[in-house]
Amino acid sequence: MSVASWFGDRLPISGRQFQELTNEPVPYHLKRWWFALGGTPAYLFIVQIITGILLAFYYESSPSTAYQSVEHITTSVSFGWYIRSVHKWAATLMIVAVILHQMRVFFTGAYRNPREINWVVGMCLLFCTLMTGFTGYSLVYEQLSFWGATVGANISDTIPFVGGFLKRMMLAGDAYNQSTLSRFFVLHAAILPVTIVFLIATHIAVIRMQGVTEFQFKDEDEGTARTFNFFPDHLYTELIIGLVLMVVLSALATILPATLGPEANPLQTPEVIKPEWFFYVAFRWLKLFTGTAAVLSMGFIVFVMFAWPWIDNWIRKHTRFQEASVWIGILGVVTIIGLTLWEAFARH
Amino acid sequence: MTLETKRIVIATLGGLFLLSLVLVQWMETARKAEEAGIRAPHVSVPASSRECVECHAEENPGIVTHWEGSTHAEKGVGCVECHQAEIEEADSYLHHGAQIATVVTPRDCARCHDHEANEFALSHHSSAGNILASLDNFLAETVEGSRIDFNPHSPTPGKAVDMVNGMASAQSGCLQCHGAKVALESTDGGLITVDDLAPDTDGRPTNLDAFAKIMRDDKGKPIIFAGTWPNTGIGRLNLDGTRGSCAACHSRHDFSPRRARQPENCGKCHLGPDHPQKEIYEESKHGIAFRDLKDDMNLDSEEWILGIDYAAAPTCATCHMSGNIRNGGRVTHDPGERISWTNRPPVSRVMDTDINHAIVTETDPELRRPLIHDTANQKRDRMKDVCSHCHTDSYVNSFYDQYDNLVILYNEKFAKPGLAIMGALQANGLSTSTQFDEEIEWTWFYLWHHEGRRARHGASMMAPDYTHWHGMYEVAERFYMELVPQAREIVQHGRDTGMRAQAAAVEQVIDEILQRPEHIWFEEGAEEAAARIREEMERRYGGAQQN
Repeated sequence: MSVASWFGDRLPISGRQFQELTNEPVPYHLKRWWFALGGTPAYLFIVQIITGILLAFYYESSPSTAYQSVEHITTSVSFGWYIRSVHKWAATLMIVAVILHQMRVFFTGAYRNPREINWVVGMCLLFCTLMTGFTGYSLVYEQLSFWGATVGANISDTIPFVGGFLKRMMLAGDAYNQSTLSRFFVLHAAILPVTIVFLIATHIAVIRMQGVTEFQFKDEDEGTARTFNFFPDHLYTELIIGLVLMVVLSALATILPATLGPEANPLQTPEVIKPEWFFYVAFRWLKLFTGTAAVLSMGFIVFVMFAWPWIDNWIRKHTRFQEASVWIGILGVVTIIGLTLWEAFARH
Repeated sequence: MTLETKRIVIATLGGLFLLSLVLVQWMETARKAEEAGIRAPHVSVPASSRECVECHAEENPGIVTHWEGSTHAEKGVGCVECHQAEIEEADSYLHHGAQIATVVTPRDCARCHDHEANEFALSHHSSAGNILASLDNFLAETVEGSRIDFNPHSPTPGKAVDMVNGMASAQSGCLQCHGAKVALESTDGGLITVDDLAPDTDGRPTNLDAFAKIMRDDKGKPIIFAGTWPNTGIGRLNLDGTRGSCAACHSRHDFSPRRARQPENCGKCHLGPDHPQKEIYEESKHGIAFRDLKDDMNLDSEEWILGIDYAAAPTCATCHMSGNIRNGGRVTHDPGERISWTNRPPVSRVMDTDINHAIVTETDPELRRPLIHDTANQKRDRMKDVCSHCHTDSYVNSFYDQYDNLVILYNEKFAKPGLAIMGALQANGLSTSTQFDEEIEWTWFYLWHHEGRRARHGASMMAPDYTHWHGMYEVAERFYMELVPQAREIVQHGRDTGMRAQAAAVEQVIDEILQRPEHIWFEEGAEEAAARIREEMERRYGGAQQN
């Protein structure tokens, strides 16, 4: 009895059906590399899961031991520095990839009817990724990550009505305490990854149900085939992207390995507090305005981002500005880059 | 891109990725080899120090070799990072394109090690230079030497000696441990020190007249007065206003933590007749264990936390400075944080300290309490954190009972009475105000400064021979056989020279002391006690073996 027939007898799916399921025709525009980057965040997420599990073998989520355990990973554990550095750089690249993917979807209008749900799922993925980055950095328990988390919690405290509750939920109390790191660890290593897995599954399922948005480019002949096979053509493309990412990650991890600042000291506020780079934009925004106004305006922007498919639909239906989304998008990107650079170069 | 091209790209990228993993493996193997000491750590000379290293590798190869073996070299900290100076600093000069200073001060080290420098600045170590105004220094500068240079009086064949440097004993002795007041030569023939420069909070001189007078050689390098440099005394008074020298313990230019952790490092200064801590440690069980188990001490470990990195034996650093599992591995650069008695003065004091780490001397309990910022008991508890790694609480507490009892016995039986007799002699004009010009002053100095400290330090670190034979035995002998007879002799001399009232006053002090229950045996005899001892000796060993 062959292995194929052994499985065939036990699973209600034939080889032909499996091939059809996995080898769905891929829209032709995905031959263009820029459009094939949607899988990059998912790929990096897998890297994060694997390296994260390895790091969790040694990490201890208590304020008295967290920093020492990270130091132990970095300086003593075999390949610890490499795994930690890959984890750090993959996190950075994953955030970049999610943002780029979201921008590509935005500027190509791929969020429009009937794909509003997947836009919202994508936005949820973006925010989950940012939250994972925030909680992950906090786990290092170095001076800046500790104070970054403290400032983050204090910011959430300014949200009307629910702010205090959010802060207590985040810190497991009114202030950073013995249980805070455990909470961040559970969020970072369990709740957020599981949520991301669920969201990615939903994202892919919706894509499979709706099909990928198809584009026709000006330089393509009318007679060009509209689709090509997933296997092996697109799989090769994804493999190349994956391998490029691994080589880049490996190079970054060895050339610019993850460092470790001074250990957190709750009694000594650093002269300059800065969060991770992906929060620079929000941090600068909060500095431009004060207290609740800053938090509320930012909440409004986030709401607009989530609701954009419907807002865009309204603009297109009721105004003559059919391409308003592009200009608003450019304005948004310029603002994000501007505020990020401002915060990066500002002393305070 | 065709499928064939994609396959080739995948194969190339796959190979590249595997190569990167091989590189990672190589780096990991190299790291482990360096950690295990099989291979010397990779050293890359920072660009800013390349010229220094190239030149000094020829001129002073030892300096470069030592530095190459340091953690500094491993982390890319070169010569310039420590020696760099601003042009406004008193001792800075341009050296092959780099503005540097020869003397590296705690301010320089604080650029990277600010926490350690701050702790050190508050420690008793950093104020060791205060000896410049102490009795000990009077000994070196006046009694042993001379405050003014003097004529050699007779020739030294083979050596032209114009003048004798009267401060030589202080400069080569006391100040090498306690720290010199670093001085620059002045164009007016004098010396320029921190007192003249009056540096601001950034260490830059505010007295520009003094700055302008700094004598420089033909290359513009300020000339440091040889009497104050070389010097790595732990309380060195630097030109930038800082005190101390990190190199006192962290020897340049390898700054080896391994060496700083070993008792020999502290033994450069903590030894000898007046504070033989090194010898006391060697006599103690701690020192014996260290000699035997040194190979198990993991002295090269990065953090060297007692209970994690080692447990074989304690060294000076273990108890007084290093981290342990009970204190979260926290190292201190203020050894006073764990010391509950100071046995330095004639009468030991309890180490209740104020906000500036100075001992609180107020005696009224009500007034004393608010002044105390860190109590002696808190300090003792920090030390107990160390002790408790190997000893039970009851063992540690009982040890401290023994130690307290010895210190208090010394204080009450000999130190305070000795101080009272010396004070009475002075107050009644029977001794001069000049120290060390009368025999009894030498006697008293030996009693507390040498023998009294030996007894107390011996008890503090469990060295029985130093506590007794080198300590209390000699204290007692010095007290009964020298101090009291000499004091009585001075009294008699006073009486003979017409100072009857003064002599009577001092005699009353002596008599009152010797009438106390603990001293009464001396003048009234202790025949009963001696007889009891003789009987017991006979019972145990027989008459023939009594000796």
